[in-house]
Amino acid sequence: MNRKLLLSLTALAVLAAACGGTTAPAAKGTIVVGGFGFPESSILAQVYGQALAHDGYTVTYKLNLGQREVVAPAIKSGQIDLYPGYAATDLEYYNNKAGEATGDVAATTAKLNSYLQPLGLVALSPSAAVDQNAFAVTKATQAKYNNITKLSDLAPIAGQLTMGAGPECLTRPYCIPGLEKTYGIKFKAFKALDTDGPLTRAAFANGTIQVGLVFSSDGDLNALGLVVLQDDKHLEAADNVVPIIRTAVATDNVKKILNNVDKNLTTADLVAMNAQVSIDHKDPDVVAKAYLQAHNYFV
Amino acid sequence: MTLLYNTLRWLTDPAHWQGADGIPIRLMQHIQLSAEAVAIGALIALPIGIGLGHFGRFGNLAINISNAGRAVPSFAILVIAFQAFGLGDAPIILALTALAVPPMVTNSYVALREVDADIKEAARGMGYRELAQLVRVEIPLAVPLIMAGIRTSAVQVVATATLAALIAGGGFGRYIIDGFATQVYTKVLAGAILVAILALATELGLSALERVLTPRGLRSLQAPAARRATAYKTA
Repeated sequence: MNRKLLLSLTALAVLAAACGGTTAPAAKGTIVVGGFGFPESSILAQVYGQALAHDGYTVTYKLNLGQREVVAPAIKSGQIDLYPGYAATDLEYYNNKAGEATGDVAATTAKLNSYLQPLGLVALSPSAAVDQNAFAVTKATQAKYNNITKLSDLAPIAGQLTMGAGPECLTRPYCIPGLEKTYGIKFKAFKALDTDGPLTRAAFANGTIQVGLVFSSDGDLNALGLVVLQDDKHLEAADNVVPIIRTAVATDNVKKILNNVDKNLTTADLVAMNAQVSIDHKDPDVVAKAYLQAHNYFV
Repeated sequence: MTLLYNTLRWLTDPAHWQGADGIPIRLMQHIQLSAEAVAIGALIALPIGIGLGHFGRFGNLAINISNAGRAVPSFAILVIAFQAFGLGDAPIILALTALAVPPMVTNSYVALREVDADIKEAARGMGYRELAQLVRVEIPLAVPLIMAGIRTSAVQVVATATLAALIAGGGFGRYIIDGFATQVYTKVLAGAILVAILALATELGLSALERVLTPRGLRSLQAPAARRATAYKTA
């Protein structure tokens, strides 16, 4: 009897201390932010998490969880509340690869939400930042051919250029067949290399290829002098960065904070932040904090 | 069974016998890579093996050093050489040469050591000088074993040259890597079969060369007893 009383008294005391001791903004609840097993995901998780923490939420991180096969069950079971998703890839995960993702980000996100809703999840407004297959040229090639900026510019000159990518590019709809069908691009030759790896970089460096498949948010694009050509006819599925969150956690205030972040996030931001992690070896949380500070989220 | 049948169809499809990705071009690339590596390897390995075998010194050291090279996977050499030389044939030639050297060093060393001491003494007694004795007596007698080393190297190199495709090189490895990437397994199997056929052809071709290079006297010694008897009679 005495013991029980003591326990409740202690609990009361702790509670009182907790309430009285807060000088930071009043705690609004806890949000667990998860992330995939690659640096860009950790950076984005930190950007979302730190923006929420600044508004008074208690944020904990479960980063580097691995593939979507780990992350999706974790959010479904409530082990995490939020992760930085990619509209098209997440749609194709939740619809069991039904092939519904398109280059239209709004439609893709809407479709994604139709699959998320029954799971108690929701995808918020997608950002303009994309991490998807992209076709890059060197700055020298760009200058040589009237400063081309988009894939449709490539069609008339492709006959003079060699394209490099992984061998599977020859048969995948997002790659050579898609370029030919959507843009009418036919290259002089195709060089089987790798998918956005060291072979592609070496081939760019020694001039074996003029056009290569990369990912649009690669941190080393600027350092390599590569320019991504704009996918102006939306061949690639819209892999825009979009926060996927448990509906129970997605209060109006949380949505407002995350949408505010996504409103300003661009692919160039992703490239810059990835570069700071992959080339300058900074930690994702430091990079995310610097980004938020530079964009005046903390004032 | 259907996979085998489809692979046969793939191999006999005329479309696969022309163009930059056709079997003739890939065959030439494969032979070129392998031949270059074996030739460079022979230039390095044979003088070392023959020299050490002739003088009978440091043989174990040379064999152990070159065998240590065998312990390093060709793939690792390839990746490291790619970092150093970048895109092109240099990394694969380097990796294949490293693979080609040890059997040739070992075999040529042993071949020279195995030459009968009595024969060497006889040669010296007949007035052969060091170099003449080596070139005109010892090496001809060592040909079968030296050639066995070259053959072992060449077959290994032909089989391993498939790695070239991993660093965007040519050869039959392209079919294996590209087929795997596009999940066309008939292409993978066709590539493997082509490599196996080429390795077999290399073995047979070099065996024929070995027979030509082997001195007549030695050849008849190796022949079956019945034929040997007649050979001696006619000789």
